[in-house]
Amino acid sequence: MTLALPDETTSKQAADASAARDRAAWFIDRAPFLVACTMLVALVAVYGSLREGVFTLDELNLDSAAAMTLLLAATGQTIVLLRGGIDLSIGGMISLGTVLAATQFGDNPLQVAACSVAIALLGLLVGACNGFLISVLRLQPFLVTLATWSILSGAALMILPTDGGHLPDGWMAFGSDSLLGLSSSVWLLLLLMLFWVWFRATRLGIAIRATGSNERSAELSGVSIFRINIATYGLSGLFAALAALYLTTQTGTGSPTIGKDYILPSVAAAVIGGISLFGGRGGLIGTIIGAFILTIIGNLVFVLSISSYWQPIVSGVILLVAVLASSLAEKSARRSLS
Amino acid sequence: MDLIEATGITKRYGGITALSDANFRASAGEVHALLGENGAGKSTFIQILAGIVRPNGGTLNLNGSTFRPGNAREAQAAGISAVFQELSLVPDLTVAENIWFRREPLSAVGMVRKDRERQATLDLFERYRIPAPSPDREVRRLTLAERQIVEIAKGLSRAPSVLILDEATSALPPRETDWLLGLATQLAEEGMLVIYISHRLAEVRQIAQRITVFRNGATVATHDTSAVDDDTIIADMLGRRMDRLYPERISTATDRVALRLRGLSVGSRLADIDLELKEGEVMGVAGLQGHGQRELFQSLFGISRARGEIELWGKPSTIRSPRDALIGRDGIALVPEDRRSHGLLLTKSVRENLTLSVIPRFTRFGLLSKGRERALVDEMLRTLQIKAGTPDQLAGTLSGGNQQKVIFGKMLLTQSRILLLYDPTRGIDVGTKGEIFRLMRDLAAKGYAILFYSSDLPEIVNVADRVAVLRNGRLAATLSGDEISEHRILREAMFEARAA
Repeated sequence: MTLALPDETTSKQAADASAARDRAAWFIDRAPFLVACTMLVALVAVYGSLREGVFTLDELNLDSAAAMTLLLAATGQTIVLLRGGIDLSIGGMISLGTVLAATQFGDNPLQVAACSVAIALLGLLVGACNGFLISVLRLQPFLVTLATWSILSGAALMILPTDGGHLPDGWMAFGSDSLLGLSSSVWLLLLLMLFWVWFRATRLGIAIRATGSNERSAELSGVSIFRINIATYGLSGLFAALAALYLTTQTGTGSPTIGKDYILPSVAAAVIGGISLFGGRGGLIGTIIGAFILTIIGNLVFVLSISSYWQPIVSGVILLVAVLASSLAEKSARRSLS
Repeated sequence: MDLIEATGITKRYGGITALSDANFRASAGEVHALLGENGAGKSTFIQILAGIVRPNGGTLNLNGSTFRPGNAREAQAAGISAVFQELSLVPDLTVAENIWFRREPLSAVGMVRKDRERQATLDLFERYRIPAPSPDREVRRLTLAERQIVEIAKGLSRAPSVLILDEATSALPPRETDWLLGLATQLAEEGMLVIYISHRLAEVRQIAQRITVFRNGATVATHDTSAVDDDTIIADMLGRRMDRLYPERISTATDRVALRLRGLSVGSRLADIDLELKEGEVMGVAGLQGHGQRELFQSLFGISRARGEIELWGKPSTIRSPRDALIGRDGIALVPEDRRSHGLLLTKSVRENLTLSVIPRFTRFGLLSKGRERALVDEMLRTLQIKAGTPDQLAGTLSGGNQQKVIFGKMLLTQSRILLLYDPTRGIDVGTKGEIFRLMRDLAAKGYAILFYSSDLPEIVNVADRVAVLRNGRLAATLSGDEISEHRILREAMFEARAA
């Protein structure tokens, strides 16, 4: 049966309408990210009105240093969340990383370098194990990484039961080094952004997002879920190890319990920045904004000299606003699809 | 020489035999149709060809040499490209990213060259005149039909020597269907082997040179299309002669109005619909895709928000959510469009799927009564002849036709007497189609009121008592009796009314 085509004007109108829908969709999809940007701008404005010298390079250097450990941990978490998983073990890995650094570094630069690489590789390996257990035994990421978190934390306590250890002076100078007025933390931040611009456009980056978006479709298109899990959790472990190394440059000690302070904030930073917990959507730039939001809330509490207990309360409210924004976006996306 | 030669292929899943003796020979340059009821083994067979499933026995030759693909990639490398009904697209990637997924053009540092990817997509669309959406749109924003077209484009992008189209037209509107049928013929003329699976015999007749029929996991026969009649093909599929596909249409409509709509509107997509659906009536809803049918059904079930008045059995009613629609005997129940993602929980049992929305019907003082639940489930399995091993079989393991019956069962258990059936026979075999049409007439005779949309126009023409035709979201005409014909419906659906 052949059909005549509907006349030109109708299809023209339809095309216009669909273009308008696409534009609306663009904003809706980015709503969580845009909300996060707005919140960051608002927080910085409030902070700037309460204190002198907020809009200077010094402040950027300080805040980057304050946010960097969380940000490195959250980078790994972002990759895992994009794949539709979650990684709680980063807490254990961060603790273990700091105590290994504090006990094994010594003062010989070569040994420090070798140990740093070894810690990073250990992170990769631990993460790969997570990925292996999740794919081969078909276990829930939440439970697997909860278990490995516990194991890693125990290992950290065995190596160093209380905070302490020794780190070389040069190592701790890392945070205060500067080039062109920017501290090494800011350079690290730029490097992280560059990494992301590259990573999200690689085949692996696309495959991780695709697997988080729809595992079955990705598999039908030739993605090996096993390899994706190894890569995703391996990267997360690697970034947790890097977070641990960075943390020791700031604190100068090994701490067997400090990692747990980064588990949920790493998820919070990503979610505030617009990463969907259901996988597939969002990016590291959002996470960076999320991490800075959490850091600046800390600054504000300090500047206002109110009880530091306000920090988690305000963070929680911000998280709620972010989650609400992404859920509204999700709903409207569904509606416009159907 | 035959391009594909499959002999005695077998495949078992646990104790269930999906294929017992599949034989298939097809050569380059032909459109070869593969027919059979749901559950006949067609899907398993093409999954074997596509490298997704490995057979237990038999021999498979491609171009004269043994072919044993270990995974989808190896089959694709050998030139076999399968476009599945179960869509393999990733919702959060764009059209272009989906088409070239895993084969992206890369720069020196391993980054995807977006510009080249986009251009390759446009070239592909142009080469096959694919009516596809913009390469930059995200797939989760596309309609089912658009996704299907992207899926076909993805299959073509591998420049295959064998293209497998599994129910590819079931989600397509007429114009795109015509495009695909023309394309299949053209590809075959250019030397490709197109394996075409469809439940629509008319399409198969139009393009296929040969037809192979599967039944119960074995090949029944291969026919030259020109030398075989429809009855023989259907008899091959069913293993018996079927009396007729469409049940006799005896109007059972009473004067009582079950559902009355006054000025129902949804956004800009549905405007000012006035409609009366009577007790005992089957009313068809027709129109070109995207002219408001979906909005009508969804707003009546409370999925999209509508303005205007709705009366159920004479009482004004506000339906803001499915909960407002499912209110027992006076309510409305829906068989949704996409049974895999909206209608069924594939990883739950048949029993759980049936009873999920009616748990209050067999609870006493807040406690579940297993006995009552079992009785209701058994009754439904019997009435609808659902072929499930036990009520505890997972819904996802049933054939498409049986899945659809489970959805019908779920809907009937809600006791609602106004039924909305949105394309209930899509992708379902002819035997089950017949059962569903008979069920619809039986229900109407019992006083149910049925609103029925189908993407296959002849179904509406042959089953509905009256037909409401939508055009641009407005009610273009309500046809009854002799007025109901494909020609008339299409005319109303496409052109402004003329003096008759």
